[in-house]
Amino acid sequence: MDIGGALKAELKVKVVDRTRGFTEALYLPAILAGLRITVRHFIRNMFGKRDVVTISYPEEQRRISPRYRGRHRLTVREDGFIKCVACYMCEEICPANCIHIESGEMEDKSVEKYPVVFDIDELRCVFCGLCVEACPKDAIRMDTGIIAMAYTDRDRFDFTRDLLRDPYHENEKTKFRSVPSPATEAEALPHSEGKLAE
Amino acid sequence: MTTKRRLKPLDFGAEPMKIELGPSHPATHGITRFAIELDGEVVVKMEAEIGYLHRGFEKEAEATNYIKIMPYTDRLNYVSPLINNVGYALTVEKLFGVEAPPRAQFARVIMCEISRITDHLTCNGATAMEIGAMTVFLWFLKVREYLWECVEEVTGARLTTNWARIGGNANDLPDGFLPMLEDRLQKVEAVLLEGEALILKNRIFIDRVKDVGILSKERAIEHAFTGPMLRACGVPYDVRRADPYLVYDQLDFEIPVGTVGDCFDRFLVRQEEIRQSISIIRQASDKLPPGDFHCRDRRVWMPDKYEVFNSIEGLIDHFKIVMDGPQPPPGEAYQAVEGGNGELGFYIVSDGSGQPLKCRVRPPCFNFVAAMGEMTVGHYLADIVPIFGSINMIGGELER
Amino acid sequence: MDAILEILVNPAVQAILKIAVIVMGFVMLTGTVLTLMERKWMSAVQDRLGPNRANVGRFTGHGILHIAADGLKSIFKEDTIPEGADRVIFTIAPFFALFASIVIWAIIPFAAPIGGFTFQITDVDIGILLVLAVTSMGVYGAVLAGWCSNNKFAMLGATRATAQMLSYEIFLGLSLVGVFMVNGSVTVSTLVENQNTYWFDGLIPKWGVFTQPLAFVLFFTAMLAEMKRLPFDAPEGESEIIAGYFLEYSGMRWSTFMLAEYLAIVGTAGLTVTLFFGGYHIPWLFADGFHLFGWILELPVWLVALLQIGAFITKTIFFCWLVIILRWTIPRFRFDQIMELGWKKMLPLALANVMVTALVLLAIDHWQAG
Repeated sequence: MDIGGALKAELKVKVVDRTRGFTEALYLPAILAGLRITVRHFIRNMFGKRDVVTISYPEEQRRISPRYRGRHRLTVREDGFIKCVACYMCEEICPANCIHIESGEMEDKSVEKYPVVFDIDELRCVFCGLCVEACPKDAIRMDTGIIAMAYTDRDRFDFTRDLLRDPYHENEKTKFRSVPSPATEAEALPHSEGKLAE
Repeated sequence: MTTKRRLKPLDFGAEPMKIELGPSHPATHGITRFAIELDGEVVVKMEAEIGYLHRGFEKEAEATNYIKIMPYTDRLNYVSPLINNVGYALTVEKLFGVEAPPRAQFARVIMCEISRITDHLTCNGATAMEIGAMTVFLWFLKVREYLWECVEEVTGARLTTNWARIGGNANDLPDGFLPMLEDRLQKVEAVLLEGEALILKNRIFIDRVKDVGILSKERAIEHAFTGPMLRACGVPYDVRRADPYLVYDQLDFEIPVGTVGDCFDRFLVRQEEIRQSISIIRQASDKLPPGDFHCRDRRVWMPDKYEVFNSIEGLIDHFKIVMDGPQPPPGEAYQAVEGGNGELGFYIVSDGSGQPLKCRVRPPCFNFVAAMGEMTVGHYLADIVPIFGSINMIGGELER
Repeated sequence: MDAILEILVNPAVQAILKIAVIVMGFVMLTGTVLTLMERKWMSAVQDRLGPNRANVGRFTGHGILHIAADGLKSIFKEDTIPEGADRVIFTIAPFFALFASIVIWAIIPFAAPIGGFTFQITDVDIGILLVLAVTSMGVYGAVLAGWCSNNKFAMLGATRATAQMLSYEIFLGLSLVGVFMVNGSVTVSTLVENQNTYWFDGLIPKWGVFTQPLAFVLFFTAMLAEMKRLPFDAPEGESEIIAGYFLEYSGMRWSTFMLAEYLAIVGTAGLTVTLFFGGYHIPWLFADGFHLFGWILELPVWLVALLQIGAFITKTIFFCWLVIILRWTIPRFRFDQIMELGWKKMLPLALANVMVTALVLLAIDHWQAG
């Protein structure tokens, strides 16, 4: 059957084997063979070394990737002021429209423009990471390693500028202070090629 | 011997029993509704009603720019999001006429095949679970977890990957990723063997899937089936071979096909495809060339952060791309990729602005759900479950 | 003191005490613990952790508190009765199921009798036939629950349950005929006692599983179908008819169905042990101690009784475990395949078993008569 049209690579076809013989027609051999496998798992997990992927979450933490996109944080300059210059790039690129910025002017000429309001509605956020890529100042990152935010009312998900500055913002429910993952500058900024130190 | 029952007129003026399967029903995962008429337990009539998960992806795409569509594509087929990412990126690249560098393409192949494995593991596991073999399902999900950790290692998220970009990938494969992946793949192979030993020789399982939900080769083609569903009918149609994209023409793999086109064939074809995907990943890992993971075309790719920080041209280009989006020349492009379920196509029309004029997705499982009635009529009520499991309906992809 | 003894030797009082100890102390306890153990064992098979979160303060006991948590939850849950349901039948249906799973224990012995005292609630003459009669009562639970719920899925489940249990009842009985023929009796005490006789000069015990291997497989299969466990759980068929006959139940009534199911597992295990695995017998252990190759280890009577009770409980729990592990190993039959298996395969096999047993017995008789 020629539906593929002109083929550029060799088409190799393998017909799957669906023939089943006499031993499969009897029920018992397969059931006993299956029992052997399940009992092996049973014995290993009950008495031997467990082979489970489940973790007991709040007590045990999973190792997360250095690239994991967790809760946002606003990075700060050496003098402690936030790096953000309120250029609206992240607000512009956000597919979920969850960032709200209002800019203001600063007396200090080394800063000039800064966000008076920088809110992220973490309930709307889809954690796509585009804001990090769009930021021209390396002012926003998602490397806090906070994977779970659980609060009892909606208002607490509106992260304001000063909350976002604190990367270790405590999780009310799990009492778990996330440790930021050891992200290098290059890891946090996927587009860079590691020349930022200069 | 087929298990299809010949339908005969009901006696005694009895009416068929009308029964509603879904939308909230354990078997209709992904939310769909089946209006079924039963004669005893034999299905007389079956209509699938879809639309419970419609989110308007295509319309939404017309209102945003090309970069911002990417996170939406994660949510199409949410068990293999990377294939959607890559498919969309390839389509826009076709509009622009740009191509990702070889390293990016090989990395895309690796990630796509990981996604295909997770997709097939989910589908086959769910089919087995609905027939009662819950252990197999959980073993398959266990190794899917291993693979998702690999995905997280590369993309920074397990499910909402948002990894491919127009003209490259968001980031390169990290150091030490390939050995980790190889380790995980060996675990997948071990669990595949165990799961198969548990059910594929078991008469109970075979009886449940053999000769159930047969669709002939001709009808499958008429229904525009693609992917494992079509291959199970015996048609070796695979977009990776029929219309090679990325670097699939440099890789050696077999296309598993079935002979009858029942649920058993579909199960076996998917199992074999997992093995082929593992082999593809190994080949691609060996051939992975050094180099860039993105193109340097300023129309689509944001300038490097070093330039953005230090030069005014870089900053301007960066602002242009973020504010207006990449602006492809007017025209249209269709690009199909082999998704987990079959041919996943993106059709995009550009009018030269930063927003697509029209974006259309060809979801592979739409056709499968349309044929549900044809496949189930004459079977028992209980057969709906493995048939529906084997078509692997993913609500996000079906209803966009 | 004498007055108390006089009351205690009264057979009626003894029976009530035995019922209390056996049903409340063993059957109910094992059944309740099994609800947790099924989940723990299943999670071990499936490479998971299983339930372990219920806690009092910091104490979780690896999930043991889930039993209490489940019980409390179902007591406090709203007990809904659907509109259009038959309220009376809806209320009593779960107890039919429960009744059938408990009454089996009336005739199962836990140890060999000491003097006039039997470790058995009653040793009725009809013996195992009582089990057959009672287990068929169990179907009423499913049928009534499904029929009176005013729900199409429940109705389908009830229909499936009726057909399945009626057809499996037949070869359940037939598979036991071979056992009766070998022993020449239907009384439970005789059936158990005969399993403590030996072939080859006291070497291999004549357990039912050795004298009637095919009957064991048939009986075990039929009992799995009777208690609607996987692979025969089409009446519940969670993937297509959701929960089948008890779909509309909630709260404590739903728990009663679940408890009945687990009690049925214990009951099946107990019956299997009694009929095919020597009951309370430990091989080569007689009333006065171990006998093997002429070597004798004498034991006091009370120790023998304790050993026998221990052996019985261990064997029973092993079979509970087997039933549960089996469930997580194999898929489920389709409804028509269950019927086909029952009528076209199991029934002829059971008949053949009866025939072959009869012929062998005749041949042995002939040979012994010379």
